[in-house]
Amino acid sequence: MKTKRDIVDQLLQLAYLEGKITTHGLYERTVIQRKPVVQSSDASRNALVQQLEAALLSSRSKAVAPVTLGSFLRGLREHQSLQLQDLLPRLGISSNIYKLLEHDRISPLKISISSWRKIQRFFQIPLDTLEEMIRRTHQLVYFRASFRTTLARYSARRNRKVKAARLEKAAEELFARATLPLPEKEQQRLDAFLRALADEDV
Amino acid sequence: MARVSNQQIVRELKAGDRIACRHLVDMYQSRLLAEAISLFHVPQLDAEELVNDVLLAVVSKIHSFEFKRSDGDFHNWVMTIFRNRVRDVMRRHAFTDGLYESYDESALENEQAYTHIERDVVRSILHRYEESARSSVEEGSAGKGVNALQVVAETLDAMESWERVLLRCRSLEVPYEQIARYTGKSVKYLKVYHARVKKKFLKLLTQRVPNAS
Repeated sequence: MKTKRDIVDQLLQLAYLEGKITTHGLYERTVIQRKPVVQSSDASRNALVQQLEAALLSSRSKAVAPVTLGSFLRGLREHQSLQLQDLLPRLGISSNIYKLLEHDRISPLKISISSWRKIQRFFQIPLDTLEEMIRRTHQLVYFRASFRTTLARYSARRNRKVKAARLEKAAEELFARATLPLPEKEQQRLDAFLRALADEDV
Repeated sequence: MARVSNQQIVRELKAGDRIACRHLVDMYQSRLLAEAISLFHVPQLDAEELVNDVLLAVVSKIHSFEFKRSDGDFHNWVMTIFRNRVRDVMRRHAFTDGLYESYDESALENEQAYTHIERDVVRSILHRYEESARSSVEEGSAGKGVNALQVVAETLDAMESWERVLLRCRSLEVPYEQIARYTGKSVKYLKVYHARVKKKFLKLLTQRVPNAS
């Protein structure tokens, strides 16, 4: 790696690479504005695109599947670029209820079976996936109250960094709690709902 | 071809849309390759591998990326990954070949403006960096090479703000026009004073590293 560079520039570049000095974003902005002096060949470009596509596919499969209805429905709607006003008449749900659903603010048990069937058909969700998400979301909504208490406790801390770390921990706690078994009565209610949904499918 | 926004690339990548890979390559491959080769003097083959690594890291870690302030966040994130990969290459290079020794001797001879003492100071810092790079490569620990360059940052801190910006940015070939906009100085002024500021920096550095030889 023979170089013909100024020794001071070399030293400063090393300091930049090691994160000891910054250019306040000037260098980073320059890179995007500069016309590249080296052009990669079509072959290398295509090879890289294929590599990236393979990596994208594998990262997609590794990515955590949406566990709640809210994240799933929101992701699906954004991915398909659907507008709420086009969607709601076909699902037979009011916009308020749908928004609550997208934010996991309402138990899925409060939506009628026929509406869930419409949602399932419209988004082409496999029944077992839908059941699992309904189960998970109901647990989440059920345990949300205790999560709020946890959040309130952590919010009282003044130090912001500590607060951020604790909030993250609290979020983990929420999901851990959401996997806890529901009380028997609540579990029976959920099972009955899911049975009814499955029967409707038959 | 119309330029695709960063927001769009991120949205497509997160949705698993394959077209995002093409957009990412169109946007970054040639640019990063040019930076690695012409600015950081990474050999062509290593540079190609480096850029592939950077873009693969972008794709595989996209789920951890979130926009916080603006559309430019994504570009800054890509540049941070790029910088870290170039740093790793530099550390390996410092460890295997040595940095100062790999300079083209004729280029050093042409640097009449620098005295022997000044060159010895730079050489001693680079040797310290090489030693710390060796330990960081061998032990797999990150960030040890930084200590050897602490004196560079401290010396810059002792200079005026516009001088610091000028030196830092010109070492990365940021155009004078852009530095002028940032510092409020004229382009002509910056061009004239660049060499002098460099000399001043080396003088201050020599005072801080007195026992270089």
